[in-house]
Amino acid sequence: MSHMEPTAVIPPLAGTASATHASVSRRALLMRRLKPYLYLLPAIVLLIIWMYRPLLYTCYLAFQKWGMVPGTEPTFVGFDNFTRLFRTDSFVHSIGNTVFYTVGLLPFSIVIPLILAVVTDGMKGKSKNFYRAIFFIPMILAPVSVGAIWRWLFHPSNGLVNNLLLKLNVVDRPIAFFSDAQWAKWIILFITGWKMIGFAVLMFSSALTGINREYYEAASIDGAGKFRVFIRITAPLVSPMVLFMLTMSILFASQWTFAYIDMLTAGGPYGSSTNVYYEMYKNAFANMNVGFSSAAALVFFVVFGLIALGLNALSRKLSFYDN
Amino acid sequence: MNKRSPALTLVQHGLLALMCVIAVFPLYWMLISAFKNESEIFTASMFPHKPVLTNFTYAFDEMPIFRMMLNSFSIAIMTGVFQMATSLLAAYALVRWRFRGQGLIFSILSLTWLIPYQAVMVPNYSLVNSMGLNENIMGIVLPYAVSTFAILSLYQSFQSFPRVLIEAASIDGLSDFGILVKLILPNIKSMVASLGIILFLNGWSEYLWPMLITKEMENAPIEIGLRLFVNSDTNMWGSLMAAATAACIPILLIYILLQRQIVDSFVRYGMK
Repeated sequence: MSHMEPTAVIPPLAGTASATHASVSRRALLMRRLKPYLYLLPAIVLLIIWMYRPLLYTCYLAFQKWGMVPGTEPTFVGFDNFTRLFRTDSFVHSIGNTVFYTVGLLPFSIVIPLILAVVTDGMKGKSKNFYRAIFFIPMILAPVSVGAIWRWLFHPSNGLVNNLLLKLNVVDRPIAFFSDAQWAKWIILFITGWKMIGFAVLMFSSALTGINREYYEAASIDGAGKFRVFIRITAPLVSPMVLFMLTMSILFASQWTFAYIDMLTAGGPYGSSTNVYYEMYKNAFANMNVGFSSAAALVFFVVFGLIALGLNALSRKLSFYDN
Repeated sequence: MNKRSPALTLVQHGLLALMCVIAVFPLYWMLISAFKNESEIFTASMFPHKPVLTNFTYAFDEMPIFRMMLNSFSIAIMTGVFQMATSLLAAYALVRWRFRGQGLIFSILSLTWLIPYQAVMVPNYSLVNSMGLNENIMGIVLPYAVSTFAILSLYQSFQSFPRVLIEAASIDGLSDFGILVKLILPNIKSMVASLGIILFLNGWSEYLWPMLITKEMENAPIEIGLRLFVNSDTNMWGSLMAAATAACIPILLIYILLQRQIVDSFVRYGMK
Protein backbone atom coordinates (compact mmCIF):
# COMPACT_ATOMS: atom_id res chain seq x y z
CA MET A 1 0.00 0.00 0.00
CA SER A 2 1.48 3.28 -1.06
CA HIS A 3 -1.19 5.54 0.38
CA MET A 4 0.15 8.87 1.47
CA GLU A 5 -1.40 10.05 4.71
CA PRO A 6 -1.18 13.83 4.75
CA THR A 7 -3.54 14.04 7.68
CA ALA A 8 -1.28 11.94 9.85
CA VAL A 9 2.18 13.18 8.85
CA ILE A 10 3.33 16.67 8.03
CA PRO A 11 3.65 16.79 4.26
CA PRO A 12 6.96 17.83 2.66
CA LEU A 13 5.89 21.38 1.81
CA ALA A 14 4.66 22.19 5.28
CA GLY A 15 8.01 21.01 6.62
CA THR A 16 9.70 24.15 5.25
CA ALA A 17 7.79 26.38 7.64
CA SER A 18 9.97 27.40 10.56
CA ALA A 19 8.99 27.42 14.20
CA THR A 20 8.24 31.17 14.07
CA HIS A 21 5.34 30.41 11.79
CA ALA A 22 3.93 27.85 14.19
CA SER A 23 0.44 29.34 14.29
CA VAL A 24 0.30 29.59 10.53
CA SER A 25 1.35 26.02 10.02
CA ARG A 26 -1.06 24.86 12.68
CA ARG A 27 -3.79 26.51 10.69
CA ALA A 28 -2.47 24.91 7.53
CA LEU A 29 -2.47 21.58 9.32
CA LEU A 30 -6.05 22.10 10.43
CA MET A 31 -6.98 22.98 6.85
CA ARG A 32 -5.37 19.78 5.67
CA ARG A 33 -7.29 17.76 8.21
CA LEU A 34 -10.53 19.39 7.18
CA LYS A 35 -9.93 19.18 3.47
CA PRO A 36 -11.39 15.72 2.78
CA TYR A 37 -14.55 16.72 4.58
CA LEU A 38 -14.80 19.93 2.59
CA TYR A 39 -14.63 18.03 -0.67
CA LEU A 40 -17.28 15.62 0.57
CA LEU A 41 -19.50 18.33 1.99
CA PRO A 42 -21.75 19.09 -1.03
CA ALA A 43 -22.49 15.42 -1.66
CA ILE A 44 -23.09 14.57 1.99
CA VAL A 45 -25.23 17.64 2.68
CA LEU A 46 -27.40 16.90 -0.35
CA LEU A 47 -27.71 13.24 0.63
CA ILE A 48 -28.79 14.24 4.11
CA ILE A 49 -31.37 16.72 2.80
CA TRP A 50 -32.82 14.55 0.05
CA MET A 51 -32.29 11.00 1.30
CA TYR A 52 -31.67 10.61 5.03
CA ARG A 53 -33.83 13.43 6.41
CA PRO A 54 -36.83 12.19 4.39
CA LEU A 55 -36.08 8.57 5.34
CA LEU A 56 -36.23 9.51 9.04
CA TYR A 57 -39.34 11.56 8.41
CA THR A 58 -40.92 8.54 6.72
CA CYS A 59 -40.10 6.53 9.88
CA TYR A 60 -41.97 9.16 11.85
CA LEU A 61 -44.92 9.25 9.42
CA ALA A 62 -45.25 5.47 9.58
CA PHE A 63 -46.66 5.87 13.10
CA GLN A 64 -49.01 8.70 12.17
CA LYS A 65 -52.27 9.20 10.36
CA TRP A 66 -52.01 12.01 7.85
CA GLY A 67 -53.64 13.00 4.56
CA MET A 68 -50.95 15.46 3.42
CA VAL A 69 -53.57 18.21 3.44
CA PRO A 70 -51.87 21.56 4.05
CA GLY A 71 -52.67 22.91 7.49
CA THR A 72 -53.44 19.52 9.01
CA GLU A 73 -51.13 17.85 11.49
CA PRO A 74 -50.29 14.13 11.58
CA THR A 75 -51.83 12.30 14.54
CA PHE A 76 -50.06 9.48 16.35
CA VAL A 77 -51.58 6.04 15.85
CA GLY A 78 -48.84 3.71 17.10
CA PHE A 79 -48.36 0.48 15.16
CA ASP A 80 -51.77 0.79 13.57
CA ASN A 81 -50.41 1.32 10.05
CA PHE A 82 -48.16 -1.73 10.28
CA THR A 83 -50.89 -4.07 11.49
CA ARG A 84 -53.23 -2.71 8.83
CA LEU A 85 -50.66 -3.47 6.11
CA PHE A 86 -51.08 -7.20 6.46
CA ARG A 87 -54.80 -7.05 7.03
CA THR A 88 -55.44 -5.06 3.85
CA ASP A 89 -56.26 -7.46 1.04
CA SER A 90 -55.09 -5.22 -1.77
CA PHE A 91 -51.70 -4.83 -0.13
CA VAL A 92 -51.22 -8.51 0.62
CA HIS A 93 -52.16 -9.16 -3.00
CA SER A 94 -49.53 -6.69 -4.20
CA ILE A 95 -46.85 -8.62 -2.31
CA GLY A 96 -47.76 -11.71 -4.32
CA ASN A 97 -47.49 -9.71 -7.53
CA THR A 98 -44.13 -8.30 -6.48
CA VAL A 99 -42.83 -11.85 -6.13
CA PHE A 100 -44.38 -12.71 -9.49
CA TYR A 101 -42.60 -9.81 -11.21
CA THR A 102 -39.31 -10.49 -9.47
CA VAL A 103 -39.22 -14.17 -10.39
CA GLY A 104 -40.78 -13.60 -13.79
CA LEU A 105 -38.10 -11.12 -14.77
CA LEU A 106 -35.24 -13.59 -14.23
CA PRO A 107 -35.59 -15.26 -17.65
CA PHE A 108 -35.34 -11.80 -19.24
CA SER A 109 -32.45 -10.59 -17.13
CA ILE A 110 -30.42 -13.81 -17.01
CA VAL A 111 -31.50 -16.85 -19.07
CA ILE A 112 -32.31 -15.32 -22.48
CA PRO A 113 -29.48 -12.73 -22.35
CA LEU A 114 -26.94 -15.37 -21.37
CA ILE A 115 -27.96 -17.49 -24.37
CA LEU A 116 -27.81 -14.51 -26.70
CA ALA A 117 -24.46 -13.42 -25.32
CA VAL A 118 -22.96 -16.89 -25.76
CA VAL A 119 -24.33 -17.16 -29.31
CA THR A 120 -23.03 -13.75 -30.38
CA ASP A 121 -19.71 -14.25 -28.59
CA GLY A 122 -18.48 -16.75 -31.17
CA MET A 123 -19.20 -14.37 -34.05
CA LYS A 124 -16.97 -11.96 -35.89
CA GLY A 125 -16.59 -8.44 -34.55
CA LYS A 126 -18.89 -6.73 -37.01
CA SER A 127 -22.00 -8.87 -36.75
CA LYS A 128 -21.44 -9.23 -33.01
CA ASN A 129 -21.47 -5.47 -32.50
CA PHE A 130 -24.40 -5.03 -34.85
CA TYR A 131 -26.61 -7.45 -32.95
CA ARG A 132 -25.66 -6.04 -29.60
CA ALA A 133 -26.32 -2.46 -30.72
CA ILE A 134 -29.79 -3.45 -31.93
CA PHE A 135 -30.65 -5.41 -28.77
CA PHE A 136 -29.68 -2.39 -26.73
CA ILE A 137 -32.13 0.06 -28.32
CA PRO A 138 -35.11 -0.68 -26.02
CA MET A 139 -32.87 0.02 -23.03
CA ILE A 140 -32.16 3.65 -23.88
CA LEU A 141 -35.78 4.57 -24.57
CA ALA A 142 -37.61 6.30 -21.75
CA PRO A 143 -40.35 4.31 -19.98
CA VAL A 144 -43.22 6.59 -21.03
CA SER A 145 -42.44 6.27 -24.73
CA VAL A 146 -42.12 2.52 -24.31
CA GLY A 147 -45.40 2.37 -22.40
CA ALA A 148 -47.19 4.44 -25.04
CA ILE A 149 -45.98 2.25 -27.91
CA TRP A 150 -46.93 -1.01 -26.22
CA ARG A 151 -50.27 0.39 -25.17
CA TRP A 152 -50.97 0.97 -28.84
CA LEU A 153 -49.67 -2.44 -29.94
CA PHE A 154 -51.81 -4.24 -27.32
CA HIS A 155 -54.82 -1.94 -27.76
CA PRO A 156 -57.96 -3.96 -26.85
CA SER A 157 -59.95 -3.25 -30.02
CA ASN A 158 -57.60 -1.83 -32.66
CA GLY A 159 -54.13 -2.87 -31.64
CA LEU A 160 -51.87 -4.73 -34.04
CA VAL A 161 -51.54 -7.75 -31.75
CA ASN A 162 -55.29 -8.28 -31.58
CA ASN A 163 -55.60 -7.60 -35.31
CA LEU A 164 -53.11 -10.33 -36.12
CA LEU A 165 -54.54 -12.80 -33.61
CA LEU A 166 -57.99 -12.33 -35.15
CA LYS A 167 -56.68 -12.68 -38.68
CA LEU A 168 -54.81 -15.87 -37.83
CA ASN A 169 -57.93 -17.19 -36.10
CA VAL A 170 -56.07 -17.70 -32.84
CA VAL A 171 -58.88 -15.93 -31.00
CA ASP A 172 -62.41 -15.10 -32.05
CA ARG A 173 -62.76 -12.02 -29.86
CA PRO A 174 -60.09 -9.38 -29.22
CA ILE A 175 -58.30 -9.76 -25.91
CA ALA A 176 -58.60 -6.87 -23.44
CA PHE A 177 -54.95 -7.18 -22.44
CA PHE A 178 -54.94 -4.40 -19.86
CA SER A 179 -58.33 -4.94 -18.27
CA ASP A 180 -58.29 -8.71 -18.15
CA ALA A 181 -56.87 -9.86 -14.82
CA GLN A 182 -55.35 -12.92 -16.48
CA TRP A 183 -53.35 -10.86 -18.93
CA ALA A 184 -52.48 -7.54 -17.31
CA LYS A 185 -49.53 -8.60 -15.21
CA TRP A 186 -48.08 -10.82 -17.94
CA ILE A 187 -48.08 -7.91 -20.35
CA ILE A 188 -46.36 -5.65 -17.82
CA LEU A 189 -43.81 -8.35 -17.11
CA PHE A 190 -43.18 -8.85 -20.82
CA ILE A 191 -42.63 -5.12 -21.49
CA THR A 192 -40.27 -4.76 -18.53
CA GLY A 193 -38.38 -7.82 -19.71
CA TRP A 194 -38.26 -6.62 -23.32
CA LYS A 195 -36.57 -3.45 -22.13
CA MET A 196 -34.06 -5.32 -19.93
CA ILE A 197 -32.73 -7.92 -22.35
CA GLY A 198 -30.35 -5.66 -24.26
CA PHE A 199 -28.64 -4.38 -21.15
CA ALA A 200 -28.21 -7.88 -19.76
CA VAL A 201 -26.84 -9.19 -23.08
CA LEU A 202 -24.28 -6.42 -22.98
CA MET A 203 -23.20 -7.21 -19.42
CA PHE A 204 -22.85 -10.94 -20.13
CA SER A 205 -21.04 -10.25 -23.39
CA SER A 206 -18.48 -8.12 -21.62
CA ALA A 207 -18.03 -10.88 -19.03
CA LEU A 208 -17.50 -13.41 -21.83
CA THR A 209 -15.03 -11.18 -23.64
CA GLY A 210 -13.05 -11.04 -20.42
CA ILE A 211 -12.47 -14.79 -20.41
CA ASN A 212 -9.00 -15.76 -21.43
CA ARG A 213 -9.08 -17.48 -24.87
CA GLU A 214 -6.31 -19.86 -23.88
CA TYR A 215 -8.72 -21.82 -21.68
CA TYR A 216 -10.84 -22.61 -24.71
CA GLU A 217 -7.81 -23.57 -26.79
CA ALA A 218 -6.56 -25.84 -24.04
CA ALA A 219 -10.00 -27.42 -23.73
CA SER A 220 -10.29 -28.05 -27.46
CA ILE A 221 -6.81 -29.63 -27.52
CA ASP A 222 -7.98 -31.90 -24.70
CA GLY A 223 -10.97 -32.78 -26.87
CA ALA A 224 -13.67 -31.33 -24.64
CA GLY A 225 -17.13 -31.00 -26.23
CA LYS A 226 -18.97 -27.71 -26.55
CA PHE A 227 -21.38 -28.44 -23.73
CA ARG A 228 -18.58 -29.53 -21.44
CA VAL A 229 -16.63 -26.37 -22.23
CA PHE A 230 -19.65 -24.28 -21.34
CA ILE A 231 -20.25 -26.06 -18.02
CA ARG A 232 -16.60 -26.28 -16.99
CA ILE A 233 -15.16 -23.00 -18.27
CA THR A 234 -17.74 -20.48 -19.38
CA ALA A 235 -20.30 -20.97 -16.62
CA PRO A 236 -17.92 -20.64 -13.64
CA LEU A 237 -16.18 -17.63 -15.17
CA VAL A 238 -19.36 -15.68 -15.88
CA SER A 239 -20.86 -16.61 -12.52
CA PRO A 240 -19.85 -13.30 -10.86
CA MET A 241 -21.79 -11.46 -13.57
CA VAL A 242 -24.74 -13.81 -13.19
CA LEU A 243 -24.84 -13.04 -9.48
CA PHE A 244 -24.53 -9.33 -10.17
CA MET A 245 -27.43 -9.41 -12.61
CA LEU A 246 -29.41 -11.58 -10.19
CA THR A 247 -28.92 -9.00 -7.47
CA MET A 248 -29.87 -6.09 -9.72
CA SER A 249 -32.87 -7.94 -11.05
CA ILE A 250 -34.23 -8.97 -7.67
CA LEU A 251 -33.65 -5.60 -6.03
CA PHE A 252 -34.96 -3.43 -8.85
CA ALA A 253 -37.57 -5.54 -10.68
CA SER A 254 -40.37 -3.89 -8.73
CA GLN A 255 -39.02 -0.44 -9.50
CA TRP A 256 -38.70 -1.16 -13.22
CA THR A 257 -42.30 -2.36 -13.48
CA PHE A 258 -43.59 0.77 -11.72
CA ALA A 259 -43.83 3.00 -14.80
CA TYR A 260 -45.65 0.39 -16.88
CA ILE A 261 -48.08 -0.41 -14.11
CA ASP A 262 -48.86 3.28 -13.80
CA MET A 263 -49.20 3.87 -17.53
CA LEU A 264 -50.95 0.72 -18.67
CA THR A 265 -53.20 -0.59 -15.92
CA ALA A 266 -52.90 1.72 -12.90
CA GLY A 267 -52.53 -1.49 -10.92
CA GLY A 268 -55.85 -2.96 -12.07
CA PRO A 269 -58.04 -4.68 -12.82
CA TYR A 270 -58.93 -5.28 -9.17
CA GLY A 271 -55.32 -4.88 -8.12
CA SER A 272 -54.23 -7.83 -10.24
CA SER A 273 -51.18 -6.08 -11.72
CA THR A 274 -50.08 -3.79 -8.90
CA ASN A 275 -46.90 -4.20 -6.86
CA VAL A 276 -45.79 -2.94 -3.45
CA TYR A 277 -44.12 0.23 -4.78
CA TYR A 278 -47.18 1.15 -6.78
CA GLU A 279 -49.36 0.62 -3.70
CA MET A 280 -47.10 2.97 -1.72
CA TYR A 281 -47.49 5.61 -4.40
CA LYS A 282 -51.26 5.13 -4.67
CA ASN A 283 -51.78 5.26 -0.92
CA ALA A 284 -49.76 8.41 -0.51
CA PHE A 285 -50.90 10.45 -3.51
CA ALA A 286 -54.32 9.06 -4.48
CA ASN A 287 -55.80 7.71 -1.24
CA MET A 288 -54.14 10.40 0.87
CA ASN A 289 -53.12 7.76 3.34
CA VAL A 290 -49.52 8.76 4.03
CA GLY A 291 -49.05 6.75 7.23
CA PHE A 292 -49.96 3.51 5.50
CA SER A 293 -47.67 4.26 2.57
CA SER A 294 -44.77 5.14 4.89
CA ALA A 295 -45.20 1.97 6.92
CA ALA A 296 -45.14 -0.07 3.72
CA ALA A 297 -42.07 1.80 2.48
CA LEU A 298 -40.19 1.08 5.70
CA VAL A 299 -41.11 -2.60 5.79
CA PHE A 300 -39.93 -3.11 2.22
CA PHE A 301 -36.81 -1.03 2.67
CA VAL A 302 -35.85 -3.51 5.39
CA VAL A 303 -36.96 -6.56 3.39
CA PHE A 304 -34.99 -5.56 0.30
CA GLY A 305 -32.04 -4.56 2.48
CA LEU A 306 -31.93 -8.05 3.98
CA ILE A 307 -32.21 -9.61 0.52
CA ALA A 308 -29.31 -7.44 -0.65
CA LEU A 309 -27.17 -8.50 2.31
CA GLY A 310 -28.00 -12.13 1.64
CA LEU A 311 -27.12 -11.88 -2.04
CA ASN A 312 -23.94 -10.04 -1.23
CA ALA A 313 -22.87 -12.80 1.15
CA LEU A 314 -23.83 -15.39 -1.45
CA SER A 315 -21.77 -13.74 -4.17
CA ARG A 316 -18.73 -13.66 -1.89
CA LYS A 317 -19.13 -17.33 -1.11
CA LEU A 318 -20.00 -18.79 -4.48
CA SER A 319 -18.23 -16.77 -7.11
CA PHE A 320 -15.24 -18.17 -8.89
CA TYR A 321 -12.75 -15.64 -10.04
CA ASP A 322 -10.21 -16.00 -12.75
CA ASN A 323 -7.00 -15.41 -10.86
CA MET B 1 -14.03 -21.86 -33.44
CA ASN B 2 -14.33 -22.57 -37.13
CA LYS B 3 -15.88 -25.99 -36.77
CA ARG B 4 -19.38 -24.56 -36.74
CA SER B 5 -21.63 -26.22 -39.30
CA PRO B 6 -23.35 -23.88 -41.77
CA ALA B 7 -26.79 -25.13 -40.64
CA LEU B 8 -26.06 -24.20 -37.05
CA THR B 9 -24.80 -20.78 -38.09
CA LEU B 10 -28.00 -20.27 -40.06
CA VAL B 11 -30.14 -21.22 -37.05
CA GLN B 12 -28.14 -18.86 -34.88
CA HIS B 13 -28.50 -15.92 -37.22
CA GLY B 14 -32.19 -16.73 -37.56
CA LEU B 15 -32.63 -16.61 -33.80
CA LEU B 16 -30.69 -13.36 -33.51
CA ALA B 17 -32.58 -11.78 -36.40
CA LEU B 18 -35.85 -12.68 -34.70
CA MET B 19 -34.63 -11.04 -31.50
CA CYS B 20 -33.67 -7.94 -33.46
CA VAL B 21 -37.17 -7.74 -34.92
CA ILE B 22 -38.68 -8.07 -31.45
CA ALA B 23 -36.37 -5.33 -30.17
CA VAL B 24 -36.96 -2.84 -32.98
CA PHE B 25 -40.42 -3.59 -34.35
CA PRO B 26 -42.33 -1.57 -31.71
CA LEU B 27 -40.28 1.49 -32.71
CA TYR B 28 -41.01 0.87 -36.38
CA TRP B 29 -44.70 0.52 -35.61
CA MET B 30 -44.63 3.80 -33.69
CA LEU B 31 -43.00 5.53 -36.63
CA ILE B 32 -45.36 4.28 -39.34
CA SER B 33 -48.44 4.79 -37.16
CA ALA B 34 -47.42 8.41 -36.83
CA PHE B 35 -47.63 8.81 -40.61
CA LYS B 36 -50.82 6.82 -41.25
CA ASN B 37 -54.05 8.62 -42.09
CA GLU B 38 -57.32 8.13 -40.22
CA SER B 39 -58.61 5.34 -42.42
CA GLU B 40 -55.36 3.42 -42.29
CA ILE B 41 -54.39 3.81 -38.65
CA PHE B 42 -56.50 0.89 -37.43
CA THR B 43 -55.31 -1.56 -40.09
CA ALA B 44 -52.37 -3.90 -39.89
CA SER B 45 -50.63 -2.45 -42.95
CA MET B 46 -46.87 -2.44 -42.53
CA PHE B 47 -46.31 0.74 -44.49
CA PRO B 48 -48.35 3.97 -44.68
CA HIS B 49 -49.75 4.02 -48.24
CA LYS B 50 -50.61 7.69 -48.19
CA PRO B 51 -48.32 9.14 -45.52
CA VAL B 52 -49.72 12.27 -43.86
CA LEU B 53 -48.34 14.85 -41.47
CA THR B 54 -51.67 15.67 -39.82
CA ASN B 55 -50.84 13.54 -36.79
CA PHE B 56 -47.78 15.64 -36.16
CA THR B 57 -49.58 18.95 -36.64
CA TYR B 58 -52.31 17.83 -34.24
CA ALA B 59 -49.78 16.67 -31.65
CA PHE B 60 -47.78 19.89 -31.92
CA ASP B 61 -51.00 21.92 -31.62
CA GLU B 62 -52.18 20.03 -28.56
CA MET B 63 -48.88 19.86 -26.72
CA PRO B 64 -46.12 22.42 -26.23
CA ILE B 65 -43.67 19.83 -27.54
CA PHE B 66 -40.70 22.16 -28.10
CA ARG B 67 -41.17 23.68 -24.68
CA MET B 68 -41.29 20.25 -23.06
CA MET B 69 -38.27 19.12 -25.04
CA LEU B 70 -36.38 22.13 -23.74
CA ASN B 71 -37.53 21.24 -20.21
CA SER B 72 -36.25 17.69 -20.69
CA PHE B 73 -32.87 18.88 -21.93
CA SER B 74 -32.54 21.39 -19.09
CA ILE B 75 -33.44 18.77 -16.49
CA ALA B 76 -31.18 16.07 -17.92
CA ILE B 77 -28.23 18.45 -18.38
CA MET B 78 -28.60 20.11 -14.98
CA THR B 79 -28.94 16.85 -13.04
CA GLY B 80 -25.99 15.48 -14.99
CA VAL B 81 -23.81 18.50 -14.26
CA PHE B 82 -24.76 18.72 -10.58
CA GLN B 83 -24.26 15.01 -10.04
CA MET B 84 -20.95 15.11 -11.85
CA ALA B 85 -19.67 18.09 -9.86
CA THR B 86 -20.67 16.73 -6.45
CA SER B 87 -19.38 13.26 -7.19
CA LEU B 88 -16.07 14.42 -8.69
CA LEU B 89 -15.29 16.23 -5.45
CA ALA B 90 -16.53 13.41 -3.23
CA ALA B 91 -14.82 10.60 -5.15
CA TYR B 92 -11.58 12.59 -5.23
CA ALA B 93 -11.63 13.04 -1.45
CA LEU B 94 -12.27 9.33 -0.95
CA VAL B 95 -9.37 8.29 -3.17
CA ARG B 96 -6.90 10.99 -2.23
CA TRP B 97 -6.94 10.94 1.55
CA ARG B 98 -7.32 8.53 4.44
CA PHE B 99 -9.38 10.17 7.14
CA ARG B 100 -11.52 9.52 10.14
CA GLY B 101 -15.08 8.48 9.27
CA GLN B 102 -14.22 7.21 5.82
CA GLY B 103 -15.73 3.82 6.54
CA LEU B 104 -18.89 5.49 7.76
CA ILE B 105 -19.12 7.54 4.59
CA PHE B 106 -18.79 4.43 2.44
CA SER B 107 -21.59 2.78 4.43
CA ILE B 108 -23.80 5.85 3.98
CA LEU B 109 -23.14 5.83 0.24
CA SER B 110 -23.80 2.12 -0.18
CA LEU B 111 -26.95 2.26 1.92
CA THR B 112 -28.39 5.04 -0.23
CA TRP B 113 -28.39 2.59 -3.13
CA LEU B 114 -31.05 0.56 -1.31
CA ILE B 115 -33.42 3.38 -0.41
CA PRO B 116 -36.35 3.15 -2.80
CA TYR B 117 -37.63 6.50 -3.96
CA GLN B 118 -41.04 5.59 -2.57
CA ALA B 119 -39.52 5.70 0.92
CA VAL B 120 -38.56 9.37 0.59
CA MET B 121 -41.11 10.74 -1.86
CA VAL B 122 -43.65 12.13 0.61
CA PRO B 123 -41.20 14.15 2.74
CA ASN B 124 -39.38 15.38 -0.37
CA TYR B 125 -42.67 16.33 -1.95
CA SER B 126 -43.64 18.37 1.12
CA LEU B 127 -40.23 20.02 1.18
CA VAL B 128 -40.29 20.97 -2.50
CA ASN B 129 -43.82 22.27 -2.01
CA SER B 130 -42.83 24.41 0.94
CA MET B 131 -39.90 25.78 -1.05
CA GLY B 132 -42.42 26.86 -3.68
CA LEU B 133 -40.70 24.74 -6.33
CA ASN B 134 -43.77 22.79 -7.39
CA GLU B 135 -44.26 22.96 -11.17
CA ASN B 136 -40.66 24.13 -11.39
CA ILE B 137 -37.69 22.51 -13.10
CA MET B 138 -35.49 23.16 -10.07
CA GLY B 139 -37.95 21.17 -7.99
CA ILE B 140 -37.21 18.20 -10.24
CA VAL B 141 -33.46 18.76 -10.37
CA LEU B 142 -32.53 19.55 -6.76
CA PRO B 143 -33.34 16.18 -5.15
CA TYR B 144 -31.25 14.59 -7.89
CA ALA B 145 -28.25 16.89 -7.49
CA VAL B 146 -26.25 14.07 -5.96
CA SER B 147 -25.97 10.46 -7.06
CA THR B 148 -24.22 7.78 -5.05
CA PHE B 149 -24.08 5.71 -8.20
CA ALA B 150 -21.96 8.46 -9.76
CA ILE B 151 -19.75 8.82 -6.68
CA LEU B 152 -19.00 5.11 -6.45
CA SER B 153 -18.45 4.83 -10.22
CA LEU B 154 -15.98 7.71 -10.22
CA TYR B 155 -14.28 6.35 -7.12
CA GLN B 156 -13.66 3.17 -9.06
CA SER B 157 -12.26 5.13 -12.05
CA PHE B 158 -10.05 7.34 -9.88
CA GLN B 159 -8.49 4.30 -8.28
CA SER B 160 -7.08 3.23 -11.61
CA PHE B 161 -5.10 6.48 -11.73
CA PRO B 162 -1.46 5.94 -10.64
CA ARG B 163 -0.89 7.35 -7.14
CA VAL B 164 2.74 8.07 -7.85
CA LEU B 165 1.74 10.78 -10.33
CA ILE B 166 -0.52 12.43 -7.77
CA GLU B 167 2.24 12.42 -5.20
CA ALA B 168 4.75 13.80 -7.67
CA ALA B 169 2.40 16.63 -8.64
CA SER B 170 1.78 17.39 -5.00
CA ILE B 171 5.53 17.68 -4.35
CA ASP B 172 5.83 19.93 -7.41
CA GLY B 173 3.47 22.29 -5.65
CA LEU B 174 0.25 21.67 -7.54
CA SER B 175 -2.69 22.39 -5.23
CA ASP B 176 -5.09 19.60 -4.28
CA PHE B 177 -7.83 21.04 -6.42
CA GLY B 178 -5.32 21.57 -9.23
CA ILE B 179 -4.40 17.88 -9.09
CA LEU B 180 -8.05 16.95 -9.63
CA VAL B 181 -8.68 19.44 -12.43
CA LYS B 182 -5.35 19.58 -14.23
CA LEU B 183 -3.89 16.16 -13.67
CA ILE B 184 -6.56 13.53 -13.06
CA LEU B 185 -9.50 14.82 -15.11
CA PRO B 186 -7.67 15.23 -18.45
CA ASN B 187 -6.42 11.68 -18.11
CA ILE B 188 -9.70 9.99 -17.37
CA LYS B 189 -11.91 12.19 -19.51
CA SER B 190 -13.29 9.31 -21.55
CA MET B 191 -14.51 7.65 -18.36
CA VAL B 192 -16.04 10.91 -17.17
CA ALA B 193 -17.76 11.30 -20.53
CA SER B 194 -19.11 7.74 -20.28
CA LEU B 195 -20.56 8.44 -16.89
CA GLY B 196 -21.95 11.76 -18.13
CA ILE B 197 -23.89 9.96 -20.86
CA ILE B 198 -25.49 7.60 -18.34
CA LEU B 199 -26.38 10.45 -15.98
CA PHE B 200 -27.94 12.37 -18.86
CA LEU B 201 -30.01 9.38 -19.97
CA ASN B 202 -31.11 8.72 -16.37
CA GLY B 203 -32.19 12.33 -15.98
CA TRP B 204 -34.09 12.17 -19.24
CA SER B 205 -35.96 8.97 -18.33
CA GLU B 206 -36.83 9.72 -14.71
CA TYR B 207 -40.47 8.88 -14.10
CA LEU B 208 -41.93 9.01 -10.60
CA TRP B 209 -40.46 12.24 -9.30
CA PRO B 210 -41.09 14.57 -12.29
CA MET B 211 -44.59 13.13 -12.49
CA LEU B 212 -45.25 14.18 -8.88
CA ILE B 213 -43.82 17.65 -9.35
CA THR B 214 -45.35 18.66 -12.68
CA LYS B 215 -49.01 18.48 -13.60
CA GLU B 216 -48.98 21.13 -16.35
CA MET B 217 -47.52 20.30 -19.75
CA GLU B 218 -45.80 23.71 -19.91
CA ASN B 219 -43.59 22.79 -16.96
CA ALA B 220 -43.19 19.09 -17.63
CA PRO B 221 -40.37 17.20 -19.31
CA ILE B 222 -41.49 15.64 -22.60
CA GLU B 223 -41.90 12.17 -21.13
CA ILE B 224 -44.32 13.37 -18.47
CA GLY B 225 -46.17 15.49 -21.02
CA LEU B 226 -46.51 12.39 -23.17
CA ARG B 227 -47.97 10.54 -20.19
CA LEU B 228 -50.55 13.30 -19.70
CA PHE B 229 -51.41 13.06 -23.39
CA VAL B 230 -51.74 9.26 -23.28
CA ASN B 231 -54.08 9.49 -20.34
CA SER B 232 -56.28 12.18 -21.87
CA ASP B 233 -56.70 11.33 -25.54
CA THR B 234 -56.93 7.60 -25.72
CA ASN B 235 -58.21 7.33 -29.25
CA MET B 236 -55.94 9.68 -31.16
CA TRP B 237 -53.41 6.95 -31.74
CA GLY B 238 -51.84 8.53 -34.79
CA SER B 239 -51.12 11.77 -32.96
CA LEU B 240 -50.06 9.90 -29.88
CA MET B 241 -47.48 7.97 -31.89
CA ALA B 242 -46.40 11.23 -33.53
CA ALA B 243 -45.83 12.70 -30.07
CA ALA B 244 -44.02 9.55 -28.95
CA THR B 245 -41.83 9.75 -32.06
CA ALA B 246 -40.95 13.34 -31.22
CA ALA B 247 -40.09 12.31 -27.67
CA CYS B 248 -37.86 9.45 -28.85
CA ILE B 249 -36.02 11.34 -31.58
CA PRO B 250 -33.47 13.18 -29.40
CA ILE B 251 -32.49 9.99 -27.58
CA LEU B 252 -32.33 7.95 -30.78
CA LEU B 253 -30.21 10.62 -32.49
CA ILE B 254 -27.83 10.64 -29.57
CA TYR B 255 -27.70 6.85 -29.68
CA ILE B 256 -26.96 6.79 -33.42
CA LEU B 257 -24.20 9.39 -33.05
CA LEU B 258 -22.62 8.03 -29.89
CA GLN B 259 -23.59 4.37 -30.16
CA ARG B 260 -20.14 3.00 -29.32
CA GLN B 261 -19.60 5.33 -26.39
CA ILE B 262 -23.07 4.68 -24.97
CA VAL B 263 -22.65 0.93 -25.12
CA ASP B 264 -19.19 1.25 -23.57
CA SER B 265 -20.57 3.48 -20.80
CA PHE B 266 -23.10 0.89 -19.77
CA VAL B 267 -20.52 -1.88 -19.92
CA ARG B 268 -18.18 0.15 -17.74
CA TYR B 269 -20.59 1.42 -15.12
CA GLY B 270 -23.71 -0.72 -15.36
CA MET B 271 -26.78 1.16 -14.42
CA LYS B 272 -28.24 2.83 -11.40
